[in-house]
Amino acid sequence: MAENLCCLPKPQRNLSRNHNRMDFWELTVRFFSLADANVRQVIAGSILLGGAAGALGCFAYLQRRSLLGDALAHAALPGVGLAFLIVGQKEFVPLLLGATATAWLGALSINAIDRYTKIKLDAALGIVLTVFFGLGIVILTHIQKSGSGSQAGLGSFIFGQAAAMSRQDVVALAVVTVCMLSVVTIGYRHFKLVSFDTGFAFAVGLPVGRLQFILTTMIVLAVTVGLQAVGVVLMAAMLITPAAAARQWTDRLPRMLMLASIFGMLAGLFGSYISFLKPSLPTGPWIVIVVSGIFAVSILFSPRRGVLIRILRHYQHRGKITRDHLVKSLYRVGMERENWYAYYPVSEIAHMWSFTPTELRSGLSQLTAQGFLEREVDMYRLTQNGVSAGARVTRLHRLWEVYLTRYLELPGDHVHRDAEDMEHIITPEMEEQLSQMLDHPVFDPHLQPIPYPTEQKGV
Amino acid sequence: MKQYHIHNTFLSLLLILAAVTGGCAKNDQTAAKEKLSIVTTTGMIADAASIIGGDNIQVTALMGPGVDPHLYKATKGDVDQLETADLILYNGLHLEGKMVDVFENMSKSKPTVAVAAVILDSELRHPTEFQGHPDPHVWFDVSLWRMAVGAVAFEIAQLDSVNRPLYHERATVYLDSLTQLHQWVQEQMATIPEDQRILVTAHDAFGYFGRAYNIEVRGLQGISTVTEAGLYDVTAMVDLLVSQKIKAVFVESSVPKKTIEAVVEGCTSRGHKVIIGGELFSDAMGQSGTPEGTYLGMVRHNVNTIVAALR
Amino acid sequence: MIKNDRPVPIEVHDLTVAYRKKPVLWNIDFSLPEGHLIGLVGPNGAGKSTLIQAIMGLLPVLSGYVKVYGHPLEKNRQLIGYVPQRESVDWDFPVDALDVVTMGRYGHMNAFGKLSKQDREIALSALDKVGMADFAKRQISQLSGGQQQRVFIARALAQEASVYLMDEPFAGVDANTEKAIVALLKELKDRGKTCLVVHHDLHTVREYFDWVMLLNMRLVKFGPTAEIYNEENLRATYGGKLVLLAEAAEKLITKS
Repeated sequence: MAENLCCLPKPQRNLSRNHNRMDFWELTVRFFSLADANVRQVIAGSILLGGAAGALGCFAYLQRRSLLGDALAHAALPGVGLAFLIVGQKEFVPLLLGATATAWLGALSINAIDRYTKIKLDAALGIVLTVFFGLGIVILTHIQKSGSGSQAGLGSFIFGQAAAMSRQDVVALAVVTVCMLSVVTIGYRHFKLVSFDTGFAFAVGLPVGRLQFILTTMIVLAVTVGLQAVGVVLMAAMLITPAAAARQWTDRLPRMLMLASIFGMLAGLFGSYISFLKPSLPTGPWIVIVVSGIFAVSILFSPRRGVLIRILRHYQHRGKITRDHLVKSLYRVGMERENWYAYYPVSEIAHMWSFTPTELRSGLSQLTAQGFLEREVDMYRLTQNGVSAGARVTRLHRLWEVYLTRYLELPGDHVHRDAEDMEHIITPEMEEQLSQMLDHPVFDPHLQPIPYPTEQKGV
Repeated sequence: MKQYHIHNTFLSLLLILAAVTGGCAKNDQTAAKEKLSIVTTTGMIADAASIIGGDNIQVTALMGPGVDPHLYKATKGDVDQLETADLILYNGLHLEGKMVDVFENMSKSKPTVAVAAVILDSELRHPTEFQGHPDPHVWFDVSLWRMAVGAVAFEIAQLDSVNRPLYHERATVYLDSLTQLHQWVQEQMATIPEDQRILVTAHDAFGYFGRAYNIEVRGLQGISTVTEAGLYDVTAMVDLLVSQKIKAVFVESSVPKKTIEAVVEGCTSRGHKVIIGGELFSDAMGQSGTPEGTYLGMVRHNVNTIVAALR
Repeated sequence: MIKNDRPVPIEVHDLTVAYRKKPVLWNIDFSLPEGHLIGLVGPNGAGKSTLIQAIMGLLPVLSGYVKVYGHPLEKNRQLIGYVPQRESVDWDFPVDALDVVTMGRYGHMNAFGKLSKQDREIALSALDKVGMADFAKRQISQLSGGQQQRVFIARALAQEASVYLMDEPFAGVDANTEKAIVALLKELKDRGKTCLVVHHDLHTVREYFDWVMLLNMRLVKFGPTAEIYNEENLRATYGGKLVLLAEAAEKLITKS
């Protein structure tokens, strides 16, 4: 199968770098067909990494220690240097052990600073990050100067090459992911309580210290294994961003964990995909861009907390206010003229209340569509439902005024503004309560009658 | 052959010029200190300077074996050394990308010379990806490096007019051996069969080598070691190796091996056996004290490795 | 201390606790009488919360010990129900009310985190007891202050303990919730449970608690409300910081 794959056409014998590129679709098909070993390894590695880091990051996020992964990634650097000094060669296992050792030391230091000094946790994270990283630079510079030829690229142990993930990397990541999955599944309840209420966890007899140890160890492992595959920035991003994005979509912890993993995995997959489409698109950074994009979408569009949703709801409410004012005004005018079903031209309606032209237009068309108004060319009149609606808004307004004067004992001239706001908000249940509590009053403080039609229709 | 004559004449002119102007200036400092000191950036420059300078000059290189000059940042110790030097020699053409400010500072108080600047712009490579900047890896073309060595000789002669004839003699010998080396490389490289004439390395340093010795060069990472490879680049490289049935790829002493290793893995899975033909010295020479720790030795090592693997 | 044949729920002997080198509790000595509702009262910074946390083993003690039914805390942990302060927790955490109450059963969990069906039922009935059964699936950030407090109390009830320690359960709750909590406390007392409750409203002490502990860094007075809750003792408790004692204690702690 491998031999028949379409690949780059035979390069010209000149020394120019311009060879024909495969087109977008060919590349896409080739990527998702998983035909190339490199592609398979990078996809597997980045999906495993994204999934594991996403889930682990949730607990760090909920304990407000999101930057822990970043701090530990930086703390791994001196361990790499020291391991090289001891072993004399760039060997995978010793360097990994060295990185794990100093990352662990970093974690202990953070806890010690937090517990035994007045310094707060975020400052402790920053201190450990910078001190350890500085130490690492010192050690690496020393190695640089000592002239040992085989030390090139020690520093890029930290910066990683995501596109170059080997089978070894994938296996290591798979082991870490399996460990992490089992630990999180078995200890789910324990970690949940420890993250939520440490004091109560103690009280109930959970071994809080040991549980935190396990959690931190998992993070250290993920960081050091992922580090030499993909580098510092990517590790920090994968531990923080998917969890933060997932939180926007759900209020339930199991779902948050799952979503964070999925986001991490998607970022891994699509980041790799994008870096496959054109030359010189570094894989690691593109994974970070994708996961940040997922986060941006979550912040803006999530139905619960999204910024855009809130803006949308705000405008929807304004629309309701306009519609309430329209039916209320038409009702009142109808009351005065003792004819509710007269037609009014738009220009006259515009003068009944202060509307902007846009508000007026959209309000009128919405009310017509909802069946509260009837339209004839450019004239409008209330329908029966419209009259009820107008009566209702008026009633709510006046009931509220009675409530304010009677219960809060506010003078009559103070209550109008408040009622203006409240008339749009009072629900039918509240209306019922008000009515009963006030004993179905007939007049408002300004001696205007309170309408009680038999049917109620809200706008 | 025509090129050779022009360069030879050019160099002779330089030396005559040095001899003529030399009588005028007298460097007082030479009387005050024991030995003159030259500080260079790369080991290659230091190698040339110490051969020409001999026991008369103290030569130190800031960047040792295995160091990447693109990423190298001067430490305080380095700056101190530069302060006390009588002459500073660096490659130039933006090879020592992070030391530009240091050189500017130093040039105020002592001669700070970019030895590659002596090469005419028309002789330099201007790769398209580098947006108008020339490729700084001039030492890969022995004939070009010979010109830079000439500049080193010139500067040393300028520095210490007393021992000028000594330097002239040593320089002539060394330049001759460079000429011979260039010839030898050309002969060796010609023995590689036509269909194997592709040199695949970790980064794009070998452009001059390819141009001078007629072999196509492909780097995985681009011209500087700062960039990170993308999945497209890795796969494209695997495609190239498989389709052209290239036998060997090469790692570099100063660049991480990981991407080349990934490429080898990719080829293996496609059923094409690619070996890592050996380690080449690209941005830095080998351990000092070994033959690869000198320019001549380094070039010979590289060529032998390449030829053995691809032949 | 008078030795009965039955051990007291909580015995505190000569307890001294410092927080960041400042003395907070000094030589505290008492035994809680079983089956009473005890109000813990004192000015701000008197160490009321600290005392509760020290008994729970959440704070290190400089000297003295705590015994639960005659044994050290570690042995008899499950006999204490704990209601921490509401602000000790981030209510934005993604769990619902039932989740929180179920946490009260975590002391009975095995290493694999398994809970039995019975555990779930206990949690549900505890939630029901505080009148929050309809809110079982509601995310806790969507609960009002009073509702959150009830959930916390339900969690302690789910622990099925014998003695309850509550840290300011009436802080910031509405009148209805307060009434409900008081009724619950009275019911616990009727069932023979002991409750030690940190309380800040001096006016309601007489109505709610049959015993009261007056605390201001040291134990001022401890006994039945009817006997010791009077103006003289209150003045002694609230009458300003004991400067001399505080200074001396601070020196001692720094030296040791």
